[in-house]
Amino acid sequence: MEFWKDETEPIKAFIELFERAKHDTELAEGLKKVNQLIWFDYTEDGPSCSFHVDCRGGDVKVAPGKPSDQPDLTMSLSADDAHRSWSNKLNPVMAITRKKIRIKGSATGLLKLAPKLKKVAVIYSGTLKDLGWESKILS
Amino acid sequence: MTGNTGHFLRVDLTVDSISLFEPPPNYYTRFVGGSGLAAKLFWENGDFKADALSPESLLIFALGPFAGLRLSGASRFSAAARSPLTGHWADSSCGGNFAPELRFAGFDGILISGVARVPSILVVTDHSARIESSPELWELGVEAATASLKQRFGRSYKTLVIGPAGENLVKFACIMNDGHDAFGRAGLGAVMGSKRLKAIVLKSSNKDLLVADQAKCRELVTELNNRVKESVTLNVMKENGTAANLEGGVHLGDVPIRNFTSNFWEDMSDALTGSTLSEKYLIRGANCAFCSVACKRIVQIDEGPFAIPKGPGPEYETIAAFGSLLGSMDLAAVCKAGRVCNDLGMDTISCGATIAWVIEASEKGHIGADQSDGLKVKWGDIQTVIDELLPSIAQKRGKLGALLAEGSVAAARRIGRNSNEYTVHSKGLEAPMHDPRGGGHGLALTYSVSHRGACHVSSPMLFMEMGACYYPEIGFDYELEPLSSENKPESAVVAMTLGALENSACMCQFADREITIPEWVQLFNVVAGLDWEIDHMMKAGRRIFYLQRLINYRYGLRAKDDHLSPRLLTPAVDGAPEGIEIDFEKMKTKFYKLMDLDQISGIPSKKTLQDHNLELEADTILGE
Ligand code: SF4
Repeated sequence: MEFWKDETEPIKAFIELFERAKHDTELAEGLKKVNQLIWFDYTEDGPSCSFHVDCRGGDVKVAPGKPSDQPDLTMSLSADDAHRSWSNKLNPVMAITRKKIRIKGSATGLLKLAPKLKKVAVIYSGTLKDLGWESKILS
Repeated sequence: MTGNTGHFLRVDLTVDSISLFEPPPNYYTRFVGGSGLAAKLFWENGDFKADALSPESLLIFALGPFAGLRLSGASRFSAAARSPLTGHWADSSCGGNFAPELRFAGFDGILISGVARVPSILVVTDHSARIESSPELWELGVEAATASLKQRFGRSYKTLVIGPAGENLVKFACIMNDGHDAFGRAGLGAVMGSKRLKAIVLKSSNKDLLVADQAKCRELVTELNNRVKESVTLNVMKENGTAANLEGGVHLGDVPIRNFTSNFWEDMSDALTGSTLSEKYLIRGANCAFCSVACKRIVQIDEGPFAIPKGPGPEYETIAAFGSLLGSMDLAAVCKAGRVCNDLGMDTISCGATIAWVIEASEKGHIGADQSDGLKVKWGDIQTVIDELLPSIAQKRGKLGALLAEGSVAAARRIGRNSNEYTVHSKGLEAPMHDPRGGGHGLALTYSVSHRGACHVSSPMLFMEMGACYYPEIGFDYELEPLSSENKPESAVVAMTLGALENSACMCQFADREITIPEWVQLFNVVAGLDWEIDHMMKAGRRIFYLQRLINYRYGLRAKDDHLSPRLLTPAVDGAPEGIEIDFEKMKTKFYKLMDLDQISGIPSKKTLQDHNLELEADTILGE
C-alpha cells in the first residue's frame, strides 16, 4: 500500500470520516436518500480491510468489516484508491471503466452522493489532520 | 452477403414507382452502413442543387450491418437527407423496433424521392413494397395515425409516422417509430412531409439474420449481452432512464438552464432527475429491439393539469429541453410537453431551444406584440407552451407559430436586433442539452466539427470526458479533465472517427460503451464477413467523416462554419464552470492539423482523400 502502514489505518480513517459526515446536515440527508446497505470492500489489501455503512430506514450506521446482512451494494477497490476517492482525486466513472472500482448491486444511490464528493473531501482532510496523518493529505 | 442483404428499395413517389437497388458490395465495406452508407448513396444519387423540401430531394433510410442481431444496442438505424433546418447534410439515428424488421423483410434501406399526388403511405412486407394513398391519415397526430395504421394492418406492423408538423414543413419536424422513438434531429420529418408520405408500415414473416460465422457470432453476442446486463452504468439507466444522472450533470454545470444563461440550479436537479421520474410517474421501462437495458420510460400521470394516460415518457434531452432550459422544474409539465411535442411530430431539442430563445427575446423586448400575436411566454410557463405554442408551431399558426417553425436561427435572422447573440447552435442546429462549458470543452470542439451541426451523438466525446471510455488499442488512454482543452483535439480525432463508425454501424451509444475496440472489429468480421484489423475499421470511420465533410463542402460550408454561437463560448456566470474560458480556436486548429483539414476550406488534402480511397470524390471536388 502506498498510503497506509497496515490494513487497520484506512478503516480507522474512513469510519471516522463517515462518523463526521453523519453530523453534516447536507451529507446526512444525502446518505439517508441512498437508503442502502453498502459494503466498502478493500480486502485485496488484507482480510479485515473493509467497513460498511447502513443508510437504510432513515438512519446512518457505520461499522468495520462485512455486514451480516446481504449488502445492497458492494464497492471493491484498493485502500489506496479509496483514499484517492475520498480525497476527490479519483474520477469514479473513470475508475469503474478502468476496473479500479468493481461494483455489485445498484449504484443509483451512489449517484446521489457523487455531487457531494467535494464536501466529503474537505471533511476527510480534516479527519486525517485530527488523526495526526496530515502527511497523507493529497494536495 | 451476410449481415446486410445487399438490397435497397428505391421509391419515386412522383411516378408511383418502386424498384430494387443493389449498391455495389464495396460500398458496404468502405462505408459500413447507416449514416456512412447513406452518405455514399447520397453522394451518388442526390441532387445537390435541390432544395431540401423539393420533389428532387432524396430521403434515405439505412440500416447498419448488425440490425437484426440479438445484441443489446445493435438495432438502431439512420435517416439522412439535406436538412431543411440547416441547409446541409443531416443524418439522424432512431431506436425502436423498425430496423430489424426491415432487415428481416430483406432490405438494408429505402431511398425515397419525388412527391405523391395525394397523401400516401409505403407498405413494406417480405421482399416487396407498395404505395397506398391514405388521405384520411393526413392531419392526424402521430398517436392517432399510428393507432389507425396498427388497426388497419395489425399490431405487429412497425410504423414510421410524421405528425402535423412534418405535413406543414416545420423545419424541425421529426419522424416517429411506433409513437415512441424518433428520428429527432434536423427536420427529416419535414422532408418526408414534403413528399406527402405520411407513414411507412412494415412487417416481415422472417426473423432470421444471416451472419458470416454463426458459432463465433453467438459466442461474442452472449459475452457482450452478459456484460451489458452486468454494467454498472447501464443498470443505473435501466432503473432510472437516460436522465439517471441529471443531478450529477447539474453539479458539473452540464445541464443548460434558461436558454444557457445559467449552469446551476440545485432544486431543479432533484425535481427533474431520473429517480424522481421513476418514483412519481414510471409504469415500466421499455426497450429497443433485443436490448436488455430498457432505458426508455413508460409513464402515467393520473391527476392535475398535466395528467396524461399511460404511454411514452421523456428521456433526458426532453426533460431538460422542456424543463431546465425553459426555467421549469415541474416534471409533470415536462412529461406532458414531451408527449404533445411527439404527437405533433417535432424534435423536442430544437423545439425547446427555439422556445427558450423566444422567451429570452420577449424578455429583452426584442420581439414585439405584433410579431408574437400578443402572446407572452415566461420562464417556467409550460402550460402556455403546451396549450398555445406547440400547436401554433406545428400548424404554423399566426405570426409567432410561423416564425418559430423556422427554428431559432432563421427566426433570429428575421427579427434582427442582435437576437442571434442568444441563439445556441452550431451550423444552424440547436445545441442539445449538454452545455460544453460544464460538460466538457472537448464537447465544444465536437459540436462544432459535427457535420449535422451541434450534436452530442456525432461522437462519444461526452462519454470520453466523463471517463466512461478507455480504448488503449487506438491510443485513447487519456484521463481527461472536462474543463480543460488538454488532449481534447487528440481525443476528438478518436471521437469523431468512432462516432462515424457508431452511427454507420447504427449501434446505440449507451450500450456501445461496453464493447472494446477488438470486439468491435470481431463483430464486423463475424457478422458481415469482413477481414478487418483495427486499422481497417478506424480507416473506414475516418473515410466516412471525410465523405460527409465533402458533402457539406458541396453545400458551401467551409472551415469558418465549424464554429459555435457566442453564448456557448462565453464563460459561464455560475456553477462549477463559472468564469472558465473555452480555448476553442486552439483546439480547433490542432484538430484540423491532426485530421489534415485545410484551415480555410475545411476539407482534407487530395492525398489524404486518396489515402482513404476517396479518389473519385476528391476528383469531383478538387478536379482531376
Ligand atoms: S440502451 Fe436504451 S436507447 Fe440504447 S438500444 Fe437500449 S433501450 Fe435503446
